[in-house]
Amino acid sequence: MYVIRRYQGHTVLIALLFITISIACVFLKPGEGCSSERLNIYVVNYPLKYFAERIAGEHAGVVFPAPPDVDPAYWMPDAKTISDYQRADLILLNGANYAKWVNKVTLPRSRMVNTSSAFKDRYIEAAEILTHSHGAAGEHAHEALAFTTWIDFSLAAEQAKAIAKALSRKKPALKDTFQRNYEELARELLKLDRDIKEVVLKDQSRPVVVSHPVYDYFARGYGLNIRSVHWEPDEIPTTEQMVELHSLLKDHPAQWMIWEGKPVEEAFDRLQAVGIQSVVFDPCGNAADQGDFMSVMRQNVENLKEAFH
Amino acid sequence: MIDSLYIAWKYIIYNKIKTVTLVACVTLISFLPVSLQLLLEESERQLMSRAVSTPLVVGAKGSALDLVMNTLYFDDEVPELITVAASNRVMETDLALPIPVYARFQARGNPIVGTTLDYFDFRDLRIAQGRQLAVLGDCVLGAKVAASLGLKPGDSLVSSPETLFDLAGVYPLKMKVVGVLEKSHTSDDLAVFVDLKTAWVIQGLGHGHEDVTKLRDPTLVLKRTERNVAATAKLYHHTEITEKNIDSFHFHGGLAQYPITAVIALPHDDKSGTILRGRYLSRQETRQIVRPEDVIDGLLQNIFRIKNVLDAVISVVALATILAIILVFALSLRLRQREIQTIFKLGCRRATIARLLTAEIFIIVVMSGVFCGALIFLVNQFSHDLVRMLFIR
Repeated sequence: MYVIRRYQGHTVLIALLFITISIACVFLKPGEGCSSERLNIYVVNYPLKYFAERIAGEHAGVVFPAPPDVDPAYWMPDAKTISDYQRADLILLNGANYAKWVNKVTLPRSRMVNTSSAFKDRYIEAAEILTHSHGAAGEHAHEALAFTTWIDFSLAAEQAKAIAKALSRKKPALKDTFQRNYEELARELLKLDRDIKEVVLKDQSRPVVVSHPVYDYFARGYGLNIRSVHWEPDEIPTTEQMVELHSLLKDHPAQWMIWEGKPVEEAFDRLQAVGIQSVVFDPCGNAADQGDFMSVMRQNVENLKEAFH
Repeated sequence: MIDSLYIAWKYIIYNKIKTVTLVACVTLISFLPVSLQLLLEESERQLMSRAVSTPLVVGAKGSALDLVMNTLYFDDEVPELITVAASNRVMETDLALPIPVYARFQARGNPIVGTTLDYFDFRDLRIAQGRQLAVLGDCVLGAKVAASLGLKPGDSLVSSPETLFDLAGVYPLKMKVVGVLEKSHTSDDLAVFVDLKTAWVIQGLGHGHEDVTKLRDPTLVLKRTERNVAATAKLYHHTEITEKNIDSFHFHGGLAQYPITAVIALPHDDKSGTILRGRYLSRQETRQIVRPEDVIDGLLQNIFRIKNVLDAVISVVALATILAIILVFALSLRLRQREIQTIFKLGCRRATIARLLTAEIFIIVVMSGVFCGALIFLVNQFSHDLVRMLFIR
């Protein structure tokens, strides 16, 4: 009987302790205490999700709600997803006008972090844009900035740094952990940066065609001589597109085309027929079918070796 | 005594016009200073409570009062505009959280306030019906706006043009009401809240239209070159943002250069606030940072100075009225000489006559007191709304 009473006493004590901790967690503001409480982070593309997961580790749940088959830069979330973004502790943006939907929805500014703001003076104005004008506003274009910043890996490291800083602000108690994780990630990103520089250094001025105008930061970061067309990897190039390519090749005699994804066999053959080889460098804006951001980028570097051997 | 009151009452109701005039005079003279005091106290409370809860406001150099009144109470007087860069500047200092405010446009007589979601957290405004702002074109109504216009989530509200004669100007925007706020008993109850970007669409800085690079109707194209397509004025601009056309909405140029009226800055602590204020002290500075509490305090000092003048005027008027009332009674005594003589001859003492006259004055004062009390009660009940109507907005 005494033993039972003792156990009952312990149970009451444990229950009281649990209730006290629960109440404390409810009343403390997020980030002030209860470091075990996971941050709820929403991001606008897969690279940011990967960086945030690497840096925050178990201390955050990182959500990238875009479906796997869409380009996150042009995706538009539904009302429920916008509401989820509004409730997030942190919203990580890529900046450089990436994710057009951000300008069309209402998000809490205090929780938004533009991960590329540190290098906004180095944003690239996208080339080949047809401007338009009407009314008193004068000439303007809808898409003025290139936004695939993270495939210049030195810039990707800066974006990761911004994420680490934002996380530390939210959870000051975990600053050292975030800093350690960031340094490890930055080391890997900068290794990729060095590897690419090493690969392309052999023939940096070599003319290359890229299948989509998303390689501006990549080209600038590694000093590549690129020209871009608008081809989709899952579509066979039309005659018009081939004519456009021929015209481009006259003053830009490329022997390689860099694709965002593996091109269809016919596209590969048509290019080969005009003496152009295909190589894939996946920017990985959305989650990869296999592997993660780092493994995809390592594979990209391996693919590049073939083109710049 | 009861007899005296009865006779006095009979006399009073017989001389209705004289009684009404006297009661009105006494009522007004006692009601005016008390109600004025009540309204001033209420306006002080309202002005100060909102001012105290708003730590700092950044705006263009100029009238600090216009800036604060527009930012806190959405006053019609729009201060000189600043740009979003001013808000970004506060953000970059890492000393305070900036909340941009663009209170310039109106919808059916109510101010449209363009801001960010942080404003709702800052003012602790909760949604009573519907949902929070989500996409371009959404609006959330203050409780009183919803009640006065009879609007609920799902309805629409059209922005008003800035001037009636702006025929070639921007088309009004049909906004979608998505939510109604809980009553907060502040200026927020009288506002229509939209996202900053929606406010820019109302201004015409952001707009949606057909892709001009794909226009087929030649009458829509003024000039087409290799690098630019110029559209004619015939190009149709959407006046409502829907799921179908939202993708066509766009903004010209960098948003950092877009206009706002002010930035509410919420410093992380007192020290940050002081440092931030120090950053705006330079002579070359084109913006000012103000503590609304100081500005409103200055305004109240002026109001109280005016109140002192009003008090003096009321005192003089009261004195004149009292003298007039004494005169009325003195003259009425003269007129009633024969009546008083009769009462005297009937055997009443002079004291009885004095008691009769005192009873008359007593009844008039009591009646005035009741009316005055009722009026003060009404003013007290509606002081909040009266202050908003008369002084603030």
